[in-house]
Amino acid sequence: MATIEVQRQILPILGSPNQGARFYNPELPSSEPFVPGHRTCAGCGPSIQYRMTSKAAGDNTILVGPTGCMYVANSSYLCTPYNVPWAHTQIGSAGSFTAGVAAAYEAMIRKGKWKGEFPNIICEAGDGSASDIGLASISGALYRNHDCLIICYDNEQYANTGIQASSRTPYGGMTTFSPPGPLVPEGKKLFPKDLARMMAAGHPHCYVATASVGYPIDLMNKVRKGLNHKGAAYLMVYTPCQKGFVYETPRSIDLGRLVVECGLYPMWEWNPEKRAYDYSFRPASMRPVSEYLKLQGRFGHLHAEHIASLQKFANEQWRMLGVQLPEALIQAADAKNLVNMASAAQAEAVAQTI
Amino acid sequence: MATTSVSKKRMVRINGCVASAQAAKYADVDVIAAYPIRPYTATMMALAQMVANGELDAEYIVADSEHSQLSIAHGAASAGARVFTGSSGVGVQFAYELYSPISGSRMPVQMMIADRTLDPPGDFGSEHTDALSTRDMGWIMGWSCDAQEAFDNHLIAYRIGEDPRVLLPQMVCQDGFFVSHITGDVELPDAGQVKEFLPPYKHPYPLDPRHPVSHGPQIMPEQGPPLQLERARAMEESMAVIEQAHEEFEKIFGRKYDPWLEEFMTDDAEVVFFLQGAHAVTARFAIKHMRDKGLKVGMVRLRTIRPYPTDRVNEVLSKFKVVGVIETNMGLGSVSSGGSLYAEVCAALYESQKRPLILSFMAGMGGEAIVLKEFYWMTQKMVDAQKRGKIEKRTHWVGFEE
Ligand SMILES: Cc1ncc(C[n+]2csc(CCOP(=O)(O)OP(=O)(O)O)c2C)c(N)n1
Ligand code: SF4
Ligand SMILES: [Mg+2]
Repeated sequence: MATIEVQRQILPILGSPNQGARFYNPELPSSEPFVPGHRTCAGCGPSIQYRMTSKAAGDNTILVGPTGCMYVANSSYLCTPYNVPWAHTQIGSAGSFTAGVAAAYEAMIRKGKWKGEFPNIICEAGDGSASDIGLASISGALYRNHDCLIICYDNEQYANTGIQASSRTPYGGMTTFSPPGPLVPEGKKLFPKDLARMMAAGHPHCYVATASVGYPIDLMNKVRKGLNHKGAAYLMVYTPCQKGFVYETPRSIDLGRLVVECGLYPMWEWNPEKRAYDYSFRPASMRPVSEYLKLQGRFGHLHAEHIASLQKFANEQWRMLGVQLPEALIQAADAKNLVNMASAAQAEAVAQTI
Repeated sequence: MATTSVSKKRMVRINGCVASAQAAKYADVDVIAAYPIRPYTATMMALAQMVANGELDAEYIVADSEHSQLSIAHGAASAGARVFTGSSGVGVQFAYELYSPISGSRMPVQMMIADRTLDPPGDFGSEHTDALSTRDMGWIMGWSCDAQEAFDNHLIAYRIGEDPRVLLPQMVCQDGFFVSHITGDVELPDAGQVKEFLPPYKHPYPLDPRHPVSHGPQIMPEQGPPLQLERARAMEESMAVIEQAHEEFEKIFGRKYDPWLEEFMTDDAEVVFFLQGAHAVTARFAIKHMRDKGLKVGMVRLRTIRPYPTDRVNEVLSKFKVVGVIETNMGLGSVSSGGSLYAEVCAALYESQKRPLILSFMAGMGGEAIVLKEFYWMTQKMVDAQKRGKIEKRTHWVGFEE
């Protein structure tokens, strides 16, 4: 039996400007691999991301879903929101199960057991899966360079289990495992693991990028770049969770922009050919972190000094991107120039709503 | 890349690990997931070389852990590929989470196990606790006692597991070292024989973009029982398929195995050993010696433990006066305070009108060989019990008592 050469898809990059179009864009494909029929919360950032991502990929796609909200709240036995093949896998199996699917298609096409173009193989892992329990499995898949795209939909917490701190939860973020109290006024004490840079640094042959639901066309183009890249790709996407972040549900996309505009979610691409970061993405404006924080109940307990720490963190991110800091942001990193978010009692009231 | 090449029927002298690798090659597996742990590693070393030589066309994946090995296997089988993986000892347990999801999604993944004692302490020897700790996870499971049987069991297990009436994963077990690293004569078949015996793997609902399906969606509590019942039924109904596969195997390859129990010198036996795996080889010698001395001793070897051949065990063991279960596994705090085989033998015999006396022997622990004089000692314990008409105690740690 002769071996058959594997044919791979190339998806066109959308020409529209990054920041103009929000939802409607004439170039968008009409296919909808992810349709209504799920049980996610109103305004759920991860599911908005899911729709954009799968739309960018199209119908010759296989989706893999480790345990998390995008498994539990999406799929219900006898009712499925997936128009393309989808499989649940264990929360720690994001990279490994996906690698198995990719390896199967390599072998089956090569051996003539399956005929057709190599499908897009996409894993949608939560940040708990990607940054903690499934980290080694994803690193393994990236390292071995299976032709697949691993997306971390980053809602900065274990949402599905009732909002617990993950290693992606920001400093100061209140979760049920990092509640503020008299001894720990800031709630979460640690700064988040820089998972995306870890993936780029450790697997430089992979396409790696960060993205946000605030910039749909940019996100979809990064999905396509990741899929077009022959080998493994990793995408880290900011996806707010209204249940855990505690904000008004229509503001998911706004938060997706604000988090970038205030420097807390740096947007970049790692170019595996040049072995270099591309920092050319620039949001329309730069803002102090407080404008992002004040919209979310999870930060309602922060004092001026905590906000200053977060501003310092954001300023470091801007510097890493090579951005000249305006004086206002340098000032905003000084607690003297800031006020407390809210009283402890108010913060507790917010905590009760989670 | 060269395609899979399999030669004409021939005899070779290989160990159990290599026999397993050969079987995977004959089965033309598509995806192999490896991770090193002694003693099963030698199987993956042999497969790596076959792939490197172009003798086998498969994706050979060096996984980052056993958990990943089994997840890779799960993903690949879900996509429609024939998959081979394996492990030993603590490696088997590192992957524990995956055993139920794989059988629950009805993916006929095949896993080779060369047993190794669990930690502590770090011990390379064979004890069956590693695989046995997963025995209720919905995998078809059985032990071979030599390299030829190991080779054969892999092909038979694929045929059973991939049968559309079954669709269950299989653990094909062999004792570490006693089988995995001891060479024996193995007949490698003609490729045509394997082709006739083992049809290509075709899962009815693979992850295929042309026929979208959702695997493993979240269920409501009331949707759980019917799915669990289906899995239980698949296990039960596999029994007929297992028998059929062994008959078919004999027709094509000329080697006859009882799928459930091997009986050795049991015709007029009064006391018998009941065991799994490689120690059967020594047991056969010991029994011949004791027969020369006039002792009516025999052996019953369990070949398939999942699904458990309850009725056969009942029917066969009811013929004897005393049964001595050789455990080679740890069942700490279990019914017998010994191993885990005893309880199932008792349960299988409960409805018998003629229940034999049953003893549990903790022997072969830590991978120690069970030597002839230990078989004599255990036989004496059984004969004493027969004379007395009752057992002295349930469990004997062989080598620790007079
Ligand atoms: C092995 C294992 N440990 C723990 C859990 C419980 N669990 C279910 S969903 C979930 C949260 C996952 O968080 P993340 O990956 O961030 O996804 P999200 O829920 O935020 O979408 C956890 C911990 C599990 N399913 N499996
Ligand atoms: S809890 Fe958060 S991530 Fe989960 S469905 Fe609701 S909004 Fe989405
Ligand atoms: Mg999360």
